[in-house]
Amino acid sequence: MVMDFEFRKQVMDYHQGSEVIKYCYQCSRCTDNCPVSYVTDEFYSVKYNPRYNILNALLGYKDKIFSADPLAIWGCTVCDTCDEVCPQKIELTEVFTLLKNQSIANGDGPDFIYQQAKTVIENGKAIPMQSAIERRRQQMGLPDIMAPNADELQSLMSNMGIDKKLK
Amino acid sequence: MTEYKMFEGCTIGNRIPFIEAATRRVFEKLGVETSEAPFSCCPDPTGFKSFDDDGWLAMGARNLCIAEEEGKDIISLCNGCTNTLRGVQHKLKHDSLKKEKINSELSKIGKSYKGSVDVKHFVDVLRHNVGLDKIKSAISKPLEGLKVACHPGCHYMRPHEWMETDDDPMRPKTLRELVAATGATVVDYEEEVICCGSAVSNAYEEIGMQNLKRKLDGVMKAGADILVVNCPACFQQFDTNQRTLSKEFEAKYNIPVLYITELYALAMGVSPDDIGLKYHRTRLRDIEPLGL
Ligand code: SF4
Ligand code: SF4
Repeated sequence: MVMDFEFRKQVMDYHQGSEVIKYCYQCSRCTDNCPVSYVTDEFYSVKYNPRYNILNALLGYKDKIFSADPLAIWGCTVCDTCDEVCPQKIELTEVFTLLKNQSIANGDGPDFIYQQAKTVIENGKAIPMQSAIERRRQQMGLPDIMAPNADELQSLMSNMGIDKKLK
Repeated sequence: MTEYKMFEGCTIGNRIPFIEAATRRVFEKLGVETSEAPFSCCPDPTGFKSFDDDGWLAMGARNLCIAEEEGKDIISLCNGCTNTLRGVQHKLKHDSLKKEKINSELSKIGKSYKGSVDVKHFVDVLRHNVGLDKIKSAISKPLEGLKVACHPGCHYMRPHEWMETDDDPMRPKTLRELVAATGATVVDYEEEVICCGSAVSNAYEEIGMQNLKRKLDGVMKAGADILVVNCPACFQQFDTNQRTLSKEFEAKYNIPVLYITELYALAMGVSPDDIGLKYHRTRLRDIEPLGL
């Protein structure tokens, strides 16, 4: 296994406080409390394991993370339980956000994530308004939803190069 | 009372507006004032943030700018939206370099983020700004005999650094107190703070389903009549997926689910027709104390 020092530095510098990842002592409290680890636990092997992800990120084992089954990263349901229970106050889900962002840039993320991003960037909403729902709103006496300025949002996203990550 | 900018969010506003209808009825009765603004998607703290973190910050900050232009705090009807908007605030407050970077992008579209407004989950407004006394006096049809399991959902209280609720992130009590104010009985179950499994279902449906099963098994074991929630993603996971779950595991899952504001609307004497209760997939009519 090769350590990728550049990747390791990205993890440490990712956000304020992310260097505390080096204090992980592999106690496994994160995995023990993770609801996804709980339901993917098979005799002596957990398919989704936040403790491993932290270890691999800390050691800079980039290949190990990104060549594995995408489930190893994307099995996370972002419930933020691991962050709460970690005795070392490591913000695990922030580290996982970095891993997911890189997986997306590599083109390996789940289709749903690309689709949702495309819909949001194109329409300004993750769920575009439909005429049937508009009618239902009126029937129930609800005010019309004010349309977001989608053009302005698109400029913001394309100035930042975010639309280039879409498939 | 202060007027808030209403952030109904994509799911409630554009897919299940009956929840907004119940919420607005309850707000009217309790004197919570709101007005509209052209907000975009928050965006999703479990989806778009995983796609691009800086993009999530910029889009969230742009929404905050819209409220700042009017100098009004935001009231959010959804855990995910509250989580994003509060998370963006938290990150930009504690990371000046990030704030500079996001602001230089926002300046190109004529906006600037200051950090001058607050973002509140409606549950906290009901509990702390309205208060239990006022709520109790608005209740005309107490729900005595109704056994309720509460599901506050992950992003209402975690990560606690962002959400800054008074609640314990692993033993929350706000929703329980709000439910108890109707006269209903809150039941305990071990899986109360466990995720509904909605986010992971989008990529791995079977994992989401196993999670949902674990949750509902606990709710049923506790003898609850209904499940009460305060997040549209959780609502949909519970309301739409129980049928699939029953088929998959050859068991009967049909616990009706209500938004806390739907429970309130019923307890305050609003007609079920006015709040579109018929759009629920799970069956509510057999639950006697609701009197439907
Ligand atoms: S709970 Fe924290 S310290 Fe323990 S293994 Fe997980 S990340 Fe490491
Ligand atoms: S945030 Fe992800 S890794 Fe952490 S406990 Fe929840 S599902 Fe597991």
